[in-house]
Amino acid sequence: MLRHILVTSNMAARGHVQDPNDRRLRPIYDYLDNGNNKMAIQQADKLLKKHKDLHCAKVLKAIGLQRTGKQDEAFSLAQEVATLEPTDDNSLQALTILYREMHRPELVTKLYEAAVKKVPLSEEYHSHLFMAYARVGEYKKMQQAGMALYKTVPKNPYYFWSVMSLVMQAISAQDDKLAQTMFLPLAERMVEKMVKEGKIEAEAEVQLYFMILERLGKYVEALDMVRGPLGEKLTSELQSRENKCMMMYQRLQLWPECNALSYKLLLKNPDEWQFYLSYFDSLFHLMDKSWSPPNEEEHCVEGPVQTTVAEAVKFVVDRMEEEDKKDSRPLRGPYMACLELIHRLRQRGCPDEEELGDPLELMLQFFGKFGDKPSCITDLKIYLHLLPPEQHTQFKNRLGDLVPLGEVGEDGFGFPGDTKVLQRHLCVCQLSRVLGLQHTLDTEGKLCLITELKAHYHYGLQFGKSCLKTELQFSDTYCLMVAHVYIDLWTETGDENMLWQCLGVLEEGLSYSPSNAQFKLLLLLLFCRLGAFQPVVDLYSSLDAKHVQHDTIGYLLTRYAGSLGQFAAASQSYNFSLRFFHSNQKDTSEYIIQAYKYGAFEKIPEFIAFRTRLNQSLHFAQVRTERMLLDLYTEADITSSLEESVKAMGLCPEEDDIPWDNMRDNRDLTVLFSWDPKDRELTEEHRRLSLEEESVWLKVRSLTLRLLASLALLGHAPSPRNSDKTNENGVSAKSSTLQTLLSQLDLTLQTAAQITEKQTQYPFLGPPSSRLASALSSGSCHCQASALQLSLTLQELETTGLDDSSELQTQICNSFKSLIVQLQELLSRCKGEVLEMKDSRLMTQPSLLETLVFFVEPVVLSGFQEWTGSLQGIVTQALDHVKGQEASLTALKLAALTLGVGHAQTQEECGFTRAAMDKVQTSYLGSLQELGDLLRKRADSLKSLKF
Amino acid sequence: MTTLRAFTCDDLFKFNNINLDPLTETYGIPFYLQYLAHWPEYFIVAEAPGGELMGYIMGKAEGSVAREEWHGHVTALSVAPEFRRLGLAAKLMEMLEEISERKGGFFVDLFVRVSNQVAVNMYKQLGYSVYRTVIEYYSASNGEPDEDAYDMRKALSRDTERKSIIPIPHPVRPEDIE
Repeated sequence: MLRHILVTSNMAARGHVQDPNDRRLRPIYDYLDNGNNKMAIQQADKLLKKHKDLHCAKVLKAIGLQRTGKQDEAFSLAQEVATLEPTDDNSLQALTILYREMHRPELVTKLYEAAVKKVPLSEEYHSHLFMAYARVGEYKKMQQAGMALYKTVPKNPYYFWSVMSLVMQAISAQDDKLAQTMFLPLAERMVEKMVKEGKIEAEAEVQLYFMILERLGKYVEALDMVRGPLGEKLTSELQSRENKCMMMYQRLQLWPECNALSYKLLLKNPDEWQFYLSYFDSLFHLMDKSWSPPNEEEHCVEGPVQTTVAEAVKFVVDRMEEEDKKDSRPLRGPYMACLELIHRLRQRGCPDEEELGDPLELMLQFFGKFGDKPSCITDLKIYLHLLPPEQHTQFKNRLGDLVPLGEVGEDGFGFPGDTKVLQRHLCVCQLSRVLGLQHTLDTEGKLCLITELKAHYHYGLQFGKSCLKTELQFSDTYCLMVAHVYIDLWTETGDENMLWQCLGVLEEGLSYSPSNAQFKLLLLLLFCRLGAFQPVVDLYSSLDAKHVQHDTIGYLLTRYAGSLGQFAAASQSYNFSLRFFHSNQKDTSEYIIQAYKYGAFEKIPEFIAFRTRLNQSLHFAQVRTERMLLDLYTEADITSSLEESVKAMGLCPEEDDIPWDNMRDNRDLTVLFSWDPKDRELTEEHRRLSLEEESVWLKVRSLTLRLLASLALLGHAPSPRNSDKTNENGVSAKSSTLQTLLSQLDLTLQTAAQITEKQTQYPFLGPPSSRLASALSSGSCHCQASALQLSLTLQELETTGLDDSSELQTQICNSFKSLIVQLQELLSRCKGEVLEMKDSRLMTQPSLLETLVFFVEPVVLSGFQEWTGSLQGIVTQALDHVKGQEASLTALKLAALTLGVGHAQTQEECGFTRAAMDKVQTSYLGSLQELGDLLRKRADSLKSLKF
Repeated sequence: MTTLRAFTCDDLFKFNNINLDPLTETYGIPFYLQYLAHWPEYFIVAEAPGGELMGYIMGKAEGSVAREEWHGHVTALSVAPEFRRLGLAAKLMEMLEEISERKGGFFVDLFVRVSNQVAVNMYKQLGYSVYRTVIEYYSASNGEPDEDAYDMRKALSRDTERKSIIPIPHPVRPEDIE
């Protein structure tokens, strides 16, 4: 709030005495705070008539102007005041706000540089100057400003701001040598000076010292510091000293200390997983080195060290026994540690693992203790490889013995009597899926499994009758697993009925458990795979995904919306994401400054890395590219010309703002639960391939966009023969850009072809395939490239002149004919029924919708070139096709479909399946309508060109 | 069997299984950064051996020492559905209380939806009691008032007479809580 500035600056500078100027300015502040910018401007004008020298009024007026879209006027007004180098708080702070709103934080530094020169003893201005530098990341100047501040007012934090600025210079230095030999040693000396003088006051200062020593690789010194008196200041974070010591022991490979400390910490808290890991790591290192403890004195500063497998076995067994004895809830740690130890011993080929027991028995024991916890599956999953495959079925059966189900009823199933038994039963189902036992069933077996799981699901619902809407049902996981088995059947047999029933069961699940995010995510994915985007919008919005989640799961929306012809929804989903990314830059700077203020020095590089990670996000680059392409395809030459649209977007064909070499894949690709066996799980290789594929597709899109921009700026340039020399040069420079971009596109399409040859298949619940493969196979990419190539040739013709260009003219004529043929082919690939009923089965061909979108893009692009005739013919054909599809879709009476023929579905289940089918039909119609509308608009603009 | 460690920015990319819960709010980036910058020790995440995030707690220290109102505050506490019923929330609360003890707080407090009986009962088991009701503390995404909150408190050792938790009988409005 601006008003706040006035109040605080008053109190700071003049106590509570009212300055008459403040009284005069107050109404303007109030207007601005209330969003009444016009009145603020008027009030400022009024005030300025009487008091010409009231600079702050000018700045406030400029804020009003800025906020009403008059940026230029605002800027020149602000500069009028800035050149006077104001030193009053009101003007300075108002200018700071204005520059921030203008996204010109570098101007704030100039402002305070001047102020500090004029008022060199002002702590406030010095500190503002430091923060202004921090906002723009001027580390060197921060270092100096921090020091100047400390010399003015010798407070410790200022000194350490300066030290931290040195660390930042080290972190950001291109040359690591410079960091290691200059910045960090200097920072170290600065801190040492304070240490020697006994001036270290705060925990933050010790943290910073530690950070410097660590970055210098001075681990011994760091360790001494943490263990010494300075380390006593490390109190905020729990176990801060222990954690830091542990880190240093590991870096220094001081395995005895590492082992002894882990041991101590585990005795205190036998559930801290990280210390089991460091305990085992250190133990085996010590064994490898045949380390033996010194005879008389203590093993090491941290106490007794364990060096034999026997000791480790005893340690783990003792921890388990402790838990067994406890009256309260046992901890999982010791039992998991036992499995971990077996795993490690086996890796080393060490025979002693037997002393811990048979993994199968141990896992049964674990299940006995923790089988009723939903996390049991996640825990055991890690160690299933300890069981030989021939034990899998035995393991499953023995687990089953531990689940007391009720008497078997008419349907052949027994059910759990309470939620604990239910959870155990579920865990067995999950384990048998993870072991691959579900996958090896044949179709009949899988259908039986579905029947069984469904029966359990429905039975279990009774336990959750009193659940609130925000809670999950106890038996939800059965429902999700049913869906997974249906998906197995669908992908194996291609039987679309499996998919429809899958949708039905998930819709049913959602009706009982309206907050289940996993149901929503899977439904969303399935509808997308079916080409039906409309239901996805509501599903996604009910997930209430916000802010950073746009980056992590926004891809689920943006991958499909546009490609399925749901342009309005696509535009909206791009906007959600873009709004988030655009606020990132400003938001993070603010908190980097806060971190200085609160001395959270270790967070500063973390915040900067975070900002970079968001700026380099694959999703960010995708949405900003797709957003502009979408606008051009749907709006350009309809509401405004292509050239105007390109200019309004600030698109510059020469500029490539995508960080190709540092792209960050922030997508959460495991957001959907999966209990698939290891060989079907998402691997690092999948992740790599998916990123590669998406990047190449992005490159195709971004080049297309830049080509369009280049075309727009070129096509509408004045004809060279009527223009002067410079203009001619301008045109040829642009056409060479076009040429360069075209050859880049060509190269990218070649890479793309190589990538699609790999035909990478991702796990069903993993990343969706990019649009690359279908863009290539439909011929759309090449069509676009041909159209763009043609524009370039046309441009050459214009430069050459009609008289000497008969060859060129023939070439153009042929290219044009070939383009039309390509478009015809593309259109013919759209033919077919997107939805039809055959033998009481509902069949979809969502790829037809996708292809139609792929057809529209090059058509629009060619339309920009004002080639009418034949193009118009094709558009008319396409429109007829869309109309035909719409008609047959509308005529399709899904109600006539008899459901539940193949596999028994209850009346209720059929209802849910039917609802899902209706959604798909409606969505297809929606897509066709949007595509039809776009084609019609294009047809109209082509017609108008003809006249 | 959990790794408890400081929450970092990178965890924001991994917390979907926790935050897709309907009662767990996903805040804007500034909100998380503010906590990380100001109270990093109060923002703790629990990680499973497989690397999945299990849950986290986010808190702060605030209030006047002179008025004996200096206290730890729980801003957010959430555990992913698959890691519930392991006592993780209690463990995280215990850590926050320990940090607040070290800072010399008089009590720890938190706000919870009146309807969230599961959470209210859990806090009661952990020694918290309803200090007061705050009317329409929660608002829906459209800005309309949505629900009342309980302000629950637990006295720390510094408040020897447990004065800080004596309930206020009358409900208060959000603007009246400092």
